[in-house]
Amino acid sequence: MIARIRRILFALLLLTVAASAAPNEVRKSLARISNSAQEPNYRIPWLPGRGGGGSGTGWVVSKDRLVTNAHVVSNARFLTIEKENDPKKYIATVEHIAHDCDLALLKVDDPAFFHDTKPLELGGIPEIESSVSVYGYPIGGERLSVTRGVVSRVDFRPYSHSVVDSHLCIQIDAAINPGNSGGPVLQDSKVVGVAFQGYSGDVAQNVGYMIPTPVIKHFLQDIKDGHYDRYMDLSINTFNLLNPAHRKALGLQDDDRGIVVSSVQEAGVCAGLLKEGDVIMAIDTLPVASDGMVELEGERVQMAEVAERKYLGDTVNFSILRDGKPIDVAVKFTRAWPHAMQANTYEQQPEYVLFGGLLFQPLSRNLMGAYQFVNPRIDYFFDTYITKAVYKDHPDLIILTALLPDPINTYFSEFREGIVDEINGKKVKTLRDLSEAFEEKTDFYVVKFIGIGRPLVLERAAVDAARQRIKKRYNVPEEQNLTAS
Amino acid sequence: MRTSLFVCISVLTAAPLLAQTPVAAPAAVEPQPPGSGAPSDLPPPGGAPAPTGAQPAPNQALVVPPVAAKLDKKPSVLRVNVTNQPWDFMRPWGKRPPYSRRAVGAVLPGNRVLVTGELVANANYLELEAADGGLKVPASIEVVDYEANLAILKADDPKFMDGFEPMEFTSASVGDTVSIWQLENTGTVLVTNGSLTTAEVSRYPIDDSPLLVYRATASLQFRDSSFTLPVVKENKLAGIIMRYDNATKSAEIVPSPVIEHFLKDVAKPPYRGFARIGLSFSNTRDPQLRRYIGLKAGGTVGGVYVTDVLKDGPSDRAGIESGDVILKIDGEAVDQDGNYSDPAYGKLSIMHLIGTRHFAGDTLKFSILRKGEVKEVEVRIARRAPESYAIEPYVIDKAPRFYVLGGLVLQELSRQFLKEWGADWVKKAPEEFVFMDRQQGDLFKEPGKKIVILSGVLPSSATVGYEELHQLVVTKINGMSIDKLADVPAALAQVTNGLHKIEFDGEPSSIYLDAAAITAGDPALMSNYRLPLLKRLD
Repeated sequence: MIARIRRILFALLLLTVAASAAPNEVRKSLARISNSAQEPNYRIPWLPGRGGGGSGTGWVVSKDRLVTNAHVVSNARFLTIEKENDPKKYIATVEHIAHDCDLALLKVDDPAFFHDTKPLELGGIPEIESSVSVYGYPIGGERLSVTRGVVSRVDFRPYSHSVVDSHLCIQIDAAINPGNSGGPVLQDSKVVGVAFQGYSGDVAQNVGYMIPTPVIKHFLQDIKDGHYDRYMDLSINTFNLLNPAHRKALGLQDDDRGIVVSSVQEAGVCAGLLKEGDVIMAIDTLPVASDGMVELEGERVQMAEVAERKYLGDTVNFSILRDGKPIDVAVKFTRAWPHAMQANTYEQQPEYVLFGGLLFQPLSRNLMGAYQFVNPRIDYFFDTYITKAVYKDHPDLIILTALLPDPINTYFSEFREGIVDEINGKKVKTLRDLSEAFEEKTDFYVVKFIGIGRPLVLERAAVDAARQRIKKRYNVPEEQNLTAS
Repeated sequence: MRTSLFVCISVLTAAPLLAQTPVAAPAAVEPQPPGSGAPSDLPPPGGAPAPTGAQPAPNQALVVPPVAAKLDKKPSVLRVNVTNQPWDFMRPWGKRPPYSRRAVGAVLPGNRVLVTGELVANANYLELEAADGGLKVPASIEVVDYEANLAILKADDPKFMDGFEPMEFTSASVGDTVSIWQLENTGTVLVTNGSLTTAEVSRYPIDDSPLLVYRATASLQFRDSSFTLPVVKENKLAGIIMRYDNATKSAEIVPSPVIEHFLKDVAKPPYRGFARIGLSFSNTRDPQLRRYIGLKAGGTVGGVYVTDVLKDGPSDRAGIESGDVILKIDGEAVDQDGNYSDPAYGKLSIMHLIGTRHFAGDTLKFSILRKGEVKEVEVRIARRAPESYAIEPYVIDKAPRFYVLGGLVLQELSRQFLKEWGADWVKKAPEEFVFMDRQQGDLFKEPGKKIVILSGVLPSSATVGYEELHQLVVTKINGMSIDKLADVPAALAQVTNGLHKIEFDGEPSSIYLDAAAITAGDPALMSNYRLPLLKRLD
């Protein structure tokens, strides 16, 4: 027994020596965040949603603000934060939330919270194999927990909160557990990352990820004007130029330089400026290698990392070869990518139109998650939404997700999960188009679905008689929500 | 209430695991029957209808003592042993490991043996075995129709068949008691009685061809040789089992009307197969639709709504258009669901009337309603050959076409290829290909069009940088459009500056290969990867 205690003390002592930030000092910068959330119900979209939430960690970044993960405070209805050695629960609100990089900035209503807090400083990108300590309130107890490990690698990785975004990401082998989210990872008393995701032990051992400081700084810089503009995106695809035959065909030397543009999204900022087949030789004067990497601040990183560090209104300069001729192309970031239905969304009540007991909802990742469709057509349109530029004809892909049974729709089950193409001969591009088409005074509403030969026919007189009945029977307060369109 | 917010852990887990799974390795390891891509609404084919598990408790065995009484003659059934070896569509130059299936076949007049088509799919070797497990002789397939799931076998030595009593046919009706015959090791017949619960037009193992199916409920015993079994009523053949679900004790049976149609067709060579009309239709139950298209509401008038017409198919040639309503076929009224009144089975899908009660080449009179007017058209029905599909619904007994170009593996997309992803292929196979298969009538209208894909890359010196490309549709080679794999050699002949340009519908849009490097590297490619050949174009 005595031996065991000694060993524990020894370990603690070691820790204190190595990470010279004394835990007692760090305590002053940390908070436990409790979120009472309400998650939108995409299957019954007129309901306020199911209660949910949980707890995570936050840290003081300035004299009166805290940083945490977006996923800690998403869909929050009521947020409280607590400090060590203070029994009080303070009420907090989200000032800025960045779902594309999983960060959020919090305010606290009562200024007394910051009375004895100490903001943490931001550091740089830690060296591989250097030690870091993770602070937070993970499962396994109530009080502050510290775990320690080394930096395993620095990489460009998907951020799972939105699913579709990838940014610089640092892998560490310190234990990161549920509740650590949003907590600081320190080295030499400075924040080098925010713990945010990991693998379950079923998949990989000791693999945790933190959001590195370039991403944190980008977020803090972006919101300085009081608005979060999101990450900028080039919206192009590129392909390596490692193959000698490919290089020869494009008239390139054998010097491992350049990658080829394989597609340019029409709705993206490069549309009209870059073309498929252009060879990118340099970005902002940094040479681009034939595997798509550039050297940035001593690290070999993907070319996209250069665009990652830009803000709304910034410009990126490409040196390209087009048909063998060198030209310079300047691309200005005038807007973030507009068609984001493949990303998880938060804070939004689901959009829908209920008409004659037919529930129409725009396709989104949230909708896919709620319905778990087993439908090759929906999978195809969801996955190729950007790559095949489906958004041009169908910015909203409107699905007939459910039927609230009523005599008017009793023979319509074969249309369930259909994607609306047109109503009375008019293409339906958005949910608002659909809502407007159903407002027209016509004897029949003839709805055509993509890939379904038979039209769905609704008689106006019959729908008019059914609408109030359906609203009442199924307790639907509103027949539509178009707030996001 | 979740105890933690660290939701990201679970979200992340799936992707990297998938990334580690070789793309060209479908889940199916076990040999599967060709129709194994069954949607979940059908009982799983399970490889063989034989129930597995413990020997039956005496009280549950509906076993009638064998029909051994008349065994002064040989019985009308025998064992059929088949070694199957399908081609490997992921590595199209080779076959998968062989596996064996054993079944009980019914003896037909003319010393022929009837079994399911599925049993003999991709058969390497067939054997007939006397019921008592004694004498065995090699056999061969006389005719097989995978769409109707039927095959006729013949013993290579005709003397083997001497003394067998051929079976006669009978039809059965819902409610009849039928017997399913299995064989004991001694050669006596194990009879399990069951009742016929349903007779309806339903899906066969080849997804596109619905035909009449009997369903019966019977508790089959576990016995060897049960991949298919004769179904007998009053000592006459009522059908043969094609699927059995051990959990629900339900058997799906190729019924005697389909078998008799098959045999009549076989009797007048060349074999033509089961005919179709080349359109799809939808019910007209909804009164709003009926009023919209000018059909009288109230249910007295039937009719089905034509949703799609196959280009250049029988209906198209007869002038039927989508939006027409079919009111009558061959004098039989068509109801709102697409049924007619069959003298033997009552309400039954018109697919039975067309496919089984008529033969390919027959002309049927259709009454159709178009824009409020009734018209009569004549439809000359025909079988649709699998080769006529852009994405062939099955490729059985045939080696897949492929072309290994410097390490790029090119082949034609088929549903057989998609079924390499296992029973759950609709969900697991590349969704773009599954979508193309489902929508092929809309997407690919030109006759003869096939979809050539890059299914994977064998890394080689010629394919540096291309190792991760897979499941891409090839559109052009050297500027020439690729509409079938056989177009590849001519397109390769158009090489400029010694470089082949290969274009894809996808990312990347194009890549290049050095023609000289391909030629120089081919011998190494063949020896490194043990490829017996680099292309098969027919």
